[in-house]
Amino acid sequence: MRLRLFSSMAAMVIALGCTWVAYPAVAQQDQPIKIGVNTAIQLQVGRDAIDAAKMAIDEINTGGGVLGRKLEMVVADEGEAATEGPKVGIAAVNKLTGEDHVDVLIGGYDSGVTLGELPHISRAKTIFLGIGSASPAIQQKVKDDYEHYKYIFRVNPTNSAKQADGLIDFIKGKLKGELGYTKISIIGENAKWVQDIVPALKKGAEDAGLQVPVAEFFDVQTADFSPIFTKVKDSGSQYLMIILSHAASDVFVKQWYDAKVPVPIGGIDVKGQDADFFNRVGGKAISEVSTNFVLRAPITDKTVAWWDKFVKTYNRSPVYTAGGAYDAVYIYANAVAAAGTTDTDKVIKALEKTDYVGVRGRVQFDELHEVKDGPGYVNELFVQWQDKGERKVIWPKEVANGKMISPPWLQQN
Amino acid sequence: MVMKPVDFYGASIAAATLALVPWLLGSNYVTGILTVALCFGIWAASWDFMSGLTGRENFGHSLFIGAGAYTAGFLNVSYGLSPWWSLPAAPIVAVAFSIVIGFPTLRLRGPYFALAMLSGAAVMQSLTIIFSEVTGGQDGLNGLYPLFDSELAQYYLTLFFLVVTVVTLKLLANSPWGTILRAIKGDEASCQAAGINVTFYKIASLMISAAFAGLGGALYAHYQLQVGPDLFAVILSINIIIMVYVGGMGSIYGPVCGALFLNLLTEGLRGLSEYRLWVYTLILIFILFFLQQGLFAPLWRRLREVAK
Amino acid sequence: MVQILVYGAVISAIYAMLAVGFTLIFGVARILNLAHGSFYALGAYGVYALTADAHLPLWLAAIVAVSLVACFGIGMERVLVRPLRRSTLAVLMITLAVNLMVEQVLLLIFGSEARNVPSMVGATYHLGDVDISGQRIVALSGGIAILAALWFFMQHTRLGSAILAISQDAEAAQYMGIPSDRIYSLVMGLSAGIAAAAGVLVAPFQTVIPGMGLLPLIKAFAIVVVGGLGSIPGSIVGALLLGYTETIIAFKVSTEWSQIVSVAAVLLTLILRPAGFFGKRAAF
Repeated sequence: MRLRLFSSMAAMVIALGCTWVAYPAVAQQDQPIKIGVNTAIQLQVGRDAIDAAKMAIDEINTGGGVLGRKLEMVVADEGEAATEGPKVGIAAVNKLTGEDHVDVLIGGYDSGVTLGELPHISRAKTIFLGIGSASPAIQQKVKDDYEHYKYIFRVNPTNSAKQADGLIDFIKGKLKGELGYTKISIIGENAKWVQDIVPALKKGAEDAGLQVPVAEFFDVQTADFSPIFTKVKDSGSQYLMIILSHAASDVFVKQWYDAKVPVPIGGIDVKGQDADFFNRVGGKAISEVSTNFVLRAPITDKTVAWWDKFVKTYNRSPVYTAGGAYDAVYIYANAVAAAGTTDTDKVIKALEKTDYVGVRGRVQFDELHEVKDGPGYVNELFVQWQDKGERKVIWPKEVANGKMISPPWLQQN
Repeated sequence: MVMKPVDFYGASIAAATLALVPWLLGSNYVTGILTVALCFGIWAASWDFMSGLTGRENFGHSLFIGAGAYTAGFLNVSYGLSPWWSLPAAPIVAVAFSIVIGFPTLRLRGPYFALAMLSGAAVMQSLTIIFSEVTGGQDGLNGLYPLFDSELAQYYLTLFFLVVTVVTLKLLANSPWGTILRAIKGDEASCQAAGINVTFYKIASLMISAAFAGLGGALYAHYQLQVGPDLFAVILSINIIIMVYVGGMGSIYGPVCGALFLNLLTEGLRGLSEYRLWVYTLILIFILFFLQQGLFAPLWRRLREVAK
Repeated sequence: MVQILVYGAVISAIYAMLAVGFTLIFGVARILNLAHGSFYALGAYGVYALTADAHLPLWLAAIVAVSLVACFGIGMERVLVRPLRRSTLAVLMITLAVNLMVEQVLLLIFGSEARNVPSMVGATYHLGDVDISGQRIVALSGGIAILAALWFFMQHTRLGSAILAISQDAEAAQYMGIPSDRIYSLVMGLSAGIAAAAGVLVAPFQTVIPGMGLLPLIKAFAIVVVGGLGSIPGSIVGALLLGYTETIIAFKVSTEWSQIVSVAAVLLTLILRPAGFFGKRAAF
């Protein structure tokens, strides 16, 4: 017993020692420019962000780097937001800034984690280019306290309030204007950003002269959507707007398809943006509309080539954070080149003047350091899953490349 | 009971090491990790005082942590009070919670008490998400102010409170009070028959446990600068119990070591990227299976014998 | 009304399958098995791997998956739980660690994204004004069949009587020559198998992700407490109670509130009637 106790104790101490010694704490000057990527590495959004950032870094390095310096990527895991909360994300940011001395942070996925990281990022006086979280509260900080939070930029996606505007535009233009619907329902998961936009959406729809009989939230852990579908169906709604990101999108569409709910669905479905989502649910996402920011479509001159290269390199189609991460690396590199230094304050000034055409559209920042949206800028695309898992942009009209279809059980002959 | 010199030296060396390490390493990252680890130390010690001594495993300790942290959040963010108000307010609120939940649940035994506490915490977690207008929902409350601008100062304050926690709880545990709590663990009915007001001791020890947990919650909130529903989560309580178990239940100082060890381990395993939690669980199973008395408290007892 | 009746029945059947195994292993061996949810997850992933990777037909995959998980349960009891059984807390901790381990292994093998298990029955049926998918009817009837089989096994076989005897008085049963250790393993296997069957039956309309076992564990816990720890009829009544309450709240109030019901029910039961509806053992 005594031997076992001591030997296992020794093993623990050695294990702990080894893992900690593995990080040398060296300050470097005139070394590579370090790009820290803080993201949830166990998720697709995280892996794609890392791979896309790497792709951009390799391209820039092949072209000689920036100011004669190479770029280098350091990754830190934000952990599982669901079980670990922001704790691991905050530690990740502190590791990247305090230990690795990165020049810029690119990352973020869960809004709660990102919000938790913000004060630590600004305390470390490091630039942060957000590529995943959508809460308007993040950029609001820049407005409330510029001196303190000027380091925070959002490259991707457009914030959820703007996404709500996009949805209202879709409701007015497509659902009411083109299809003549008069009654829609709205449901969303119980997350802060959804709780913020559902009332706005309801008001927007009602102002446009539509009825909204059901506007409801459901718990992120909901496993049975039958009651919601029944209520929506009984209310006589012609369309069901959905807003989900962390909840089980796959269960949602599967149960919708299996019950042949006579109401088409569409809206923000973050997991429904994944390229393999259609196959993951056995094709049951047919006719679901989901917003997206990047797709293999000629959004800009770069989009298709970039998409194909990503698919060729990594053998899978990228998700929305990939486009954001790829653009973010270039935007930062350009700002450093323009500023002629990596000095944080000067780069911030250069970033504020960004005018860059990326794979998702033309990027400029507004006074909240928020990526500008609208015609000519980064656009929210309404993308529909169609036959054989093909994706077509059906809204906005200017970029649409397909016709909207109905669920198979509602198609009139 | 007077502390044995060997224990006193051991504790002093441990405290001195903790005080020196961040000062020597000087990185905000390491200081931050250690600050979080110290908060877990406070939580583990406070859990151990109630549950380790009386044998009533509290699976809802996060209820008190969350209560303390949200108190700090509300006072600081919603009402704009100075962060220093959190330190007295958080324990008071946590104690209030312990009274409300303690009276109906403390008469329960074993798994029933564990489950009741667990559900109490889970209900609070759901409520914070549903009433998002007040609580910030899933994202929680953001924009708390740190107690000090310097992370090192914050660390020393946390260390100070950890020492206060451990010394207070250890003194209580070694006093007649602690003996009664251990007797309750052994045979509650006999204690009652001997004229001891069992209910009073159980409630009082839960209150003390909650007070320190709430204090730890406030310290944690003012380091993380954010509070969220994950502070009420069942998984947090479970993690604390694992730390206590690894440290050695019923010893107060063991759980603190367990908390420090496991926190540093999760952070140290970061280099393994996606294998991090897998390796962590593997190590955990190893400890749980082979060292049923825990790792640190038995080790110290053995070292002490050797020292003799 | 019909909707509530039908959907509530499906949910209750699933809950009952989860709760019965959980209460059985507690009643017989006094093991609070926190790895119970991982049996459910392993069942779902097993049938996914066997259909998608090994290309077995669905019915065969289901049988193989359930048997494999039952073996896993027996193995866990033998190797990890039995040596620790003297301490309740140690058992609690080790089963919890197994639960975490299973989740991490599934994550490493299958990734974090949801996996698709095809439906056994693709059609949609109409009962009055209720649209219900064939798979839900399969889950409902499968659940009832399994519970009926379990009841028959417990009441009409020698082995079942032995299990009941141990759950009533382990010591006396041992004196009567019933090998309690073997019975414990068997019951763990049985409990794991039923949970895995639940996982297999619901996988086509539920999300198959590594963390899928946690929620069923909490539900099973809640149901068993409401019904009375260790009581099989209690767990079925608890499942019906919880299944229907959740469904009614989801229909009449909001899905937002339906999740909080189960935990609140536990708390209330413990405060008002700690032994649950059918619990024999005193809780305090």
